[in-house]
Amino acid sequence: MEKQKIAELRKILTSRLNRPMRYYNDTCTRCGLCYDTCHAYQGIPEKIYSPVGRAEVVRKLYKKYTRLSGYLFPYWGDSTSFNDPVMDEAYKAVWSCTGCRRCVMNCPFGIDTALMMSVGKHLLIQNGTAPEELVMLADAAVEKGKSIEEFKEGYRQVIRDLEKEVQKRLGLAEPDGLIPMEKKNAEILYVGLAGAHTIVNPAIIFNAARENWTLSFFEGVNFGFFAGDPEKADFIAKRIINEATALNVKEIVIVECGTAFRIMRFLMGKLPFKVSSIVEVIHRYLAAGRIKLKDKSVAEPVTYHDPCQIGRNGGIYDEPRDIIHAVAADYREMSPTREQNWCCGGGGGLVALDNEEFRIKSGKPKKEQIVKTGAKIVVTACENCVMQLKTIANGYGLDVEIKYLTEFVCENLIR
Amino acid sequence: MGWSDVYYFIMVPMVYAAFAIFMAGIVFKLIVVFFSKKSKGTFSTFPKILPRPLGVLKDAFLVPVAWKRDKILWFFIIAYHAAFVLLFIGHLELIKEFALLQIIPHQVFLGAGIVGIVLIISVLYFLFRRFKSPWRGISVPEDYLILLLIFMTMIVGSHLNLAARYNAAGFDIPVEDYRTYLSSLFAFNPTIPAGITGSPHYVLVALHIFFANLVLMVIPFSKIIHMVFTFLSLNIQRK
Amino acid sequence: MSDALKPDVTMDLKGLACPLPVIKVNQQIKKMQVGQILVAETTDPGAHADFPAWAKSTGNEIVNTEKKETSTMFYIKKLK
Repeated sequence: MEKQKIAELRKILTSRLNRPMRYYNDTCTRCGLCYDTCHAYQGIPEKIYSPVGRAEVVRKLYKKYTRLSGYLFPYWGDSTSFNDPVMDEAYKAVWSCTGCRRCVMNCPFGIDTALMMSVGKHLLIQNGTAPEELVMLADAAVEKGKSIEEFKEGYRQVIRDLEKEVQKRLGLAEPDGLIPMEKKNAEILYVGLAGAHTIVNPAIIFNAARENWTLSFFEGVNFGFFAGDPEKADFIAKRIINEATALNVKEIVIVECGTAFRIMRFLMGKLPFKVSSIVEVIHRYLAAGRIKLKDKSVAEPVTYHDPCQIGRNGGIYDEPRDIIHAVAADYREMSPTREQNWCCGGGGGLVALDNEEFRIKSGKPKKEQIVKTGAKIVVTACENCVMQLKTIANGYGLDVEIKYLTEFVCENLIR
Repeated sequence: MGWSDVYYFIMVPMVYAAFAIFMAGIVFKLIVVFFSKKSKGTFSTFPKILPRPLGVLKDAFLVPVAWKRDKILWFFIIAYHAAFVLLFIGHLELIKEFALLQIIPHQVFLGAGIVGIVLIISVLYFLFRRFKSPWRGISVPEDYLILLLIFMTMIVGSHLNLAARYNAAGFDIPVEDYRTYLSSLFAFNPTIPAGITGSPHYVLVALHIFFANLVLMVIPFSKIIHMVFTFLSLNIQRK
Repeated sequence: MSDALKPDVTMDLKGLACPLPVIKVNQQIKKMQVGQILVAETTDPGAHADFPAWAKSTGNEIVNTEKKETSTMFYIKKLK
């Protein structure tokens, strides 16, 4: 590897050495308690897919470049210089990690492997070996933020079509205003995704609850974060923050998308408005009687998959369960569940990559969990999870239906 | 220069150097941390059942993660760290008599040699555990070398205690001599009593101090820094 | 339809979940010659902003969009 490139990579390495990274680099005792707590390791038992195996790839670079002992005695801690094999290893470690942070719960020091992997992602971008799909999607999202005015009209038109669908499904006379856009001083700015289902179903719920809401022009998902580019990630998230500030809304409500929710709620610092997941909002409506669901109307066994970013990393465990309990007569809990629930294997941008075979293998613990419940319907609240669960269901030939929570709610809504 | 000079070097200047490096190292590490960027946002995991300080202390001292996943390892982790605390108290008593520590009357050294044996067995467990896959694959030389260093320190230290206690092989260094030596170090007026220098076992005392010096110097710059950083990193998980 | 808008490749991206439509189009356009036209049919409402943004960031051009009842056809010309 040329000197110039190594210098650039070193710059990124040191720029990412913040407080938590210092703790995580120095503290790991390689006790190995985390070893098999990663779903990918469960599917493919190789060291590189274990949390500590992944983290060591980044850690040994830090040892080499930020520690005298690593520089003087590289054998002491296995430190490594930048070279092509280590970058290939980093690719394998980083792009098989979904950032589910299950290993954080199983580390006696709470070491955040996902954060260490985000440094690896950043290095791969500089190295020019980041997955180009994600870099491209991040660039497109940044471009959308820069020239949103050009795209507004086209988007408005297609939203009008969706209003007709909402009208049809709610049995209303007029479609106008069912999906408001650019509405100043609204209570809620709802941020969806590209797919129609991420707008229509929530619109039905908002209208049923007579909410004063408005739809964002932007998609909640953050491909900059997935790709591992902190600057783009920040820009992409700020598109929505700026929009919310300009419209003077009281609350941002995030679509069923784990990443979008975690970034907005936990990683953007203090914001002048509330950030909620649509799951919390539905729960709020239900508790206040603003929407009503058909009581125990689903007889088939139902289970819920906790999206990692909403459950373990977001603290929303009870709300979705309450909602499902209202509708399902036979609710079955997965085991292990809640903070120890297995990741589906689709997060961190992995579903956007050409890696289906890997994802089916790494989805093995999830498959086993689902089969054990005997459920026929798997409900979840994350676009990534739905896509990955469908991949798992197809891959292993499971006879289950995968549903979004909003979809499940809309199907059982009393109008 | 004879062996007595080497022993003196280990017993006096090197001890001061080791303590200086140990303390300066930890302060240096904390200063570096203090001047690094804080992370934006929070890195919590949920649920957070206990309030933050309590939760951090619980996770740090009771190691519930190990309890859940590997009960044998948990047992040795707790045994090792608890014995380490007793070891520390025992060494304090080698400096001078603390009335407070004699609330439960005991002979110095604490535990009649059990503490050292528990530590040695735990260290051997930690070491042999690493010979087995998959832990073998994730271990780096540092992991083995540190355990080896601690093992050497403890096996010699344990011998000093046990041999003196049972007066084996004419071992006759009394507690008072250690107190004279260690308290003189603390008073910055170092003397090594003739009871130590004249003993045929002086070499073992020097060896024990030598290994202990190495351990002290290595702490801030190795994974043993987890004795400080554990609390900080667990704090982030609950922030 | 003018000759200039004769599609060289047509892709059916209906019902695909986000972000696959953009990824598929991006993969396909790489295989094509400069000046050729790709027609992508999608049901994603988000595509109305995402496709133009993607085209702008990659330096391609959307020469025409044709709305059908439930889907939209995007005519994308490869520029480089």
